[in-house]
Amino acid sequence: MLRVEHLSKTYPNGTRALTDVSFEVADGEFLVVIGLSGSGKSTLLRCINRLIDPTEGKIFWDNIDITAATPADLRHIRRNIGMVFQQFNLVKRSSVMTNVLSGRLGYANPWLSLLGIWPDEDKKRAIKALERVGIADKAYNRADALSGGQQQRVGIARALMQEPKLILADEPVASLDPVLSHSILQYLEQLNKEGITVICSLHFLDLVHRYATRVIALKDGIKVFEGSAREIDRAKFKEIYGEEAQEVRATAL
Amino acid sequence: MTDNTTRRSPFLSGLFSAIVPGAGQLYNGQRYRATAILVGALVVLGMVVWYGEPFWYISPVIIWLWNIWDAVSLSAGRTRSILAPVLFSLLATYGIGWQVVQINFKSASIERAVQIVRPMLRPDFVTLRTEKNSIWVPVQVPCAPNPPKAENEINGIKAFATPNCASVGETVIVSASGLWPDTETQVWWQTPIGDPKMLGENEAAMLVIKTDSSGSLTTTIRVPSTALAAAPDPTLPFQHRVYFEQFRPIGGFVISSNGRYVLQGMTETLALALMATTLSIFLAIPISFLAARNLMSANPLTFGIYVVVRTILNIVRSIEPLIVAIIFVVIVGLGPFAGVIALAIHSVAALAKLYSEVIEGIDPGPIEAVRATGATWVQTVRYGVVPQIVPPFTAFTIYRWDINVRSSTIIGFVGGGGIGFFLIQWIQINDLRAVSAAFIAIAVVVIVLDTISAKVRERLV
Ligand SMILES: Nc1ncnc2c1ncn2[C@@H]1O[C@H](COP(=O)(O)OP(=O)(O)O)[C@@H](O)[C@H]1O
Ligand SMILES: [Mg+2]
Repeated sequence: MLRVEHLSKTYPNGTRALTDVSFEVADGEFLVVIGLSGSGKSTLLRCINRLIDPTEGKIFWDNIDITAATPADLRHIRRNIGMVFQQFNLVKRSSVMTNVLSGRLGYANPWLSLLGIWPDEDKKRAIKALERVGIADKAYNRADALSGGQQQRVGIARALMQEPKLILADEPVASLDPVLSHSILQYLEQLNKEGITVICSLHFLDLVHRYATRVIALKDGIKVFEGSAREIDRAKFKEIYGEEAQEVRATAL
Repeated sequence: MTDNTTRRSPFLSGLFSAIVPGAGQLYNGQRYRATAILVGALVVLGMVVWYGEPFWYISPVIIWLWNIWDAVSLSAGRTRSILAPVLFSLLATYGIGWQVVQINFKSASIERAVQIVRPMLRPDFVTLRTEKNSIWVPVQVPCAPNPPKAENEINGIKAFATPNCASVGETVIVSASGLWPDTETQVWWQTPIGDPKMLGENEAAMLVIKTDSSGSLTTTIRVPSTALAAAPDPTLPFQHRVYFEQFRPIGGFVISSNGRYVLQGMTETLALALMATTLSIFLAIPISFLAARNLMSANPLTFGIYVVVRTILNIVRSIEPLIVAIIFVVIVGLGPFAGVIALAIHSVAALAKLYSEVIEGIDPGPIEAVRATGATWVQTVRYGVVPQIVPPFTAFTIYRWDINVRSSTIIGFVGGGGIGFFLIQWIQINDLRAVSAAFIAIAVVVIVLDTISAKVRERLV
C-alpha cells in the first residue's frame, strides 16, 4: 500500500511542478497517471523513489516514510521499486547483459560489483529476465545495437532484476510505435497480474482504457481526476487536456 | 535603377570616383559597393606600394579606371561586373606572393637532386657482417738510449718496425705478415693514452694498403705531428703503437652503428611521446571537469572558473610544442626531458578540451536509472558514468599519443631528444644515408601506430 499525502514540489528555479497531490495505491493495482506534457507526471513518479526530493508532503509505503528515509534506508527502498523510462536510459556502450545486471546493484556485493564481477546466480537471473521479455539472444550485444522496442524490454528486464514489489513506468511507450506500445504494456500487465503494483504514466487514452485499473489525472501539477478510466467522459477529458484537445488513439496512428 | 529622379550626373560621378575610389558610387547611393571598392582599392594599393615593384602598379591603376567607369555607368542606371577589379587584385596578390616566396624553378637542379637521392636510396641501417684481423707493433717516441725491439706477434700474425724508435716527423718503415692476402688494410697510429692518429695524406686520411698475395705488407710512415700533443713531457720516451687492421665480409648483415642510433632515437621518441601523454592524462582529467560547461554553469563563480580555464586551454593549445620545447631546452637543458615537458603542456590543453567535451556529452538518463536501482554513489559512477566516458577518453588519449609520436620525431630538431636530435645532426654533416634510415624509421613507426590506433579507436567509439 502506497500513500501519497499533500505532495508538492517546487524546483530551484521556481517552477511549481506539483501542488498538494494526495492519493493511495493498493497493492496489485495498475494505476495510470495521465496529463499533458509538463503537468508533473515525471516529477510525481520520481518523488516516489526520491530521485527527486519533494518540497512538501509525505509518501508512505507499507507505513515506512519514504520522504524521511536515511540514505541507506532509501537504497533498500529503491531496490524494491523498479523503474522504466521513456528514453529507456540504458548505458548505450555497455552490453545488454551489463545493463540488466546493473538492476541488481542494490543487492550486490559493493566491492565485487565495482570490479564488474557478478555471481553466477545473478547472471542466470539476468538471462531469465531477458528470456521473459524475449531477447535472451541479444544478451551480449551492445545496448545501442537494439531497436527501441528491444531497448525498452531490456529496461523492463533491468527492473525485474530488482525483484520489485512496485514498478514505476514513466511514459514507457511514448518513444515507441503503437504496435510495440501494446507489447511493452502487455509485459507490464503480466507482471501486474503476478502481484507487482504498477504506477505508469501514459499519454494515449485508449491505452489507459485497456490497461488501467484506476486513473489519476494531473493538470499543472494539481490532481484533477481520480477514478476508473470509464469515468473519463468528454467533459472530463476537456478539463484534463484542454479545450482544443482531440482524443488521440494510439491504434489510429 | 530605372527611376529617373535618383539618377545623378555622370560627370560628377566619374569625377568623385577619380578623386576617391568609391565616392562616385556613394554619390549614386550604393553604400556597400562604395565601401567595397574603397577598401579593395586601398588594400591593393597598399600591397603594391609595400612591395615596390613598379610593374604591379598596373593593378591599382586598372581598378581605379574601372571604378570611374563603374561610377559613370551607375549614373546611367547600369551596374558593371566586378570581375575585372577582382581579377586584377588577385593577379597582384598571387604575382607578388609568388615573388615574395621566391619561387624559382630554375634553382632546382637535377644534378643536385641526384646527388642527394642516390645515397638516400641506400639507407644506412644495416651493413655487411665482417670479421676483423689485426696486429700492432710498438714504436718508441722519442728515442731512449736502448729502445726495445719494435716487433710483435699475435696468433701467427707478425709485425715489426725499423728503426725501433723515432721522433715526431721522422719516417719509420713498418711491415706486417700473416694477414689475409690481397685485402685492404688500414694502418694507423695510437698514442700511449689511446688516441688514434691517421697516417694518410696530411694526417687527415686513413692510410689504406693492400696486402700482397702472401698476406704481407710494408709501408713507410711518418710519426704524426700530433703524436706528443697530449704528452705531459715530450722528452720522455713512450711506447706508441702502429695498428694494422683488415675486415672482410662473412655473409649476412648486421645493424650498422648509425642504424643503432636510429633505433635508440626511435625508442627515445616513442618513450618521449608515451611519457608526455601519460603525464598529460593525469593533469588533463581534473582540468577537464573544470572545463565542462554542464558541471560549471551552476553558479557565477564556477562559471567564471570555467571561462578562465577554457581560455587558458585555448591559448596553450595554440602554441606549437616545438616553440615550447625551445624554451624548455634552455630551462632544463638539451635532451628528451625538455621534449617531454613541451609535448605534455600541449597535450594537457588538447586532452582537457576533448575530455571536457566528453563530460559535457554525458547522458544523465542512465545515471538516473542506476540510482533508481538502489545503487550507492560509487556504484552509480561505476555503472552510469564510467562506461560513458572511459571509451571516448581512451580513444582520444590514443589519438593524442599518435600525434605526440609525430611531434616528438621533430622535437629533437631544437634539442628536445628523440630521433630528431640525430636526424638534424646527420642533415648538418650531410650523412644522407643515415638521414634516409631515420626517414624510413619515422615513416614506418608513424604508419604502424596510425593503423593500430585507428583500429583500436574504431572499436572504442
Ligand atoms: N529539473 C527541473 N528543473 C526545473 N523545472 C523542471 C525540472 N524538471 C521538470 N521541470 C518543470 O516541471 C514541470 C513538470 O515537469 P514534468 O514532471 O517533467 O512533467 P511531465 O512528465 O508531465 O511532462 C514542467 O513545467 C517542467 O518544465
Ligand atoms: Mg515526463
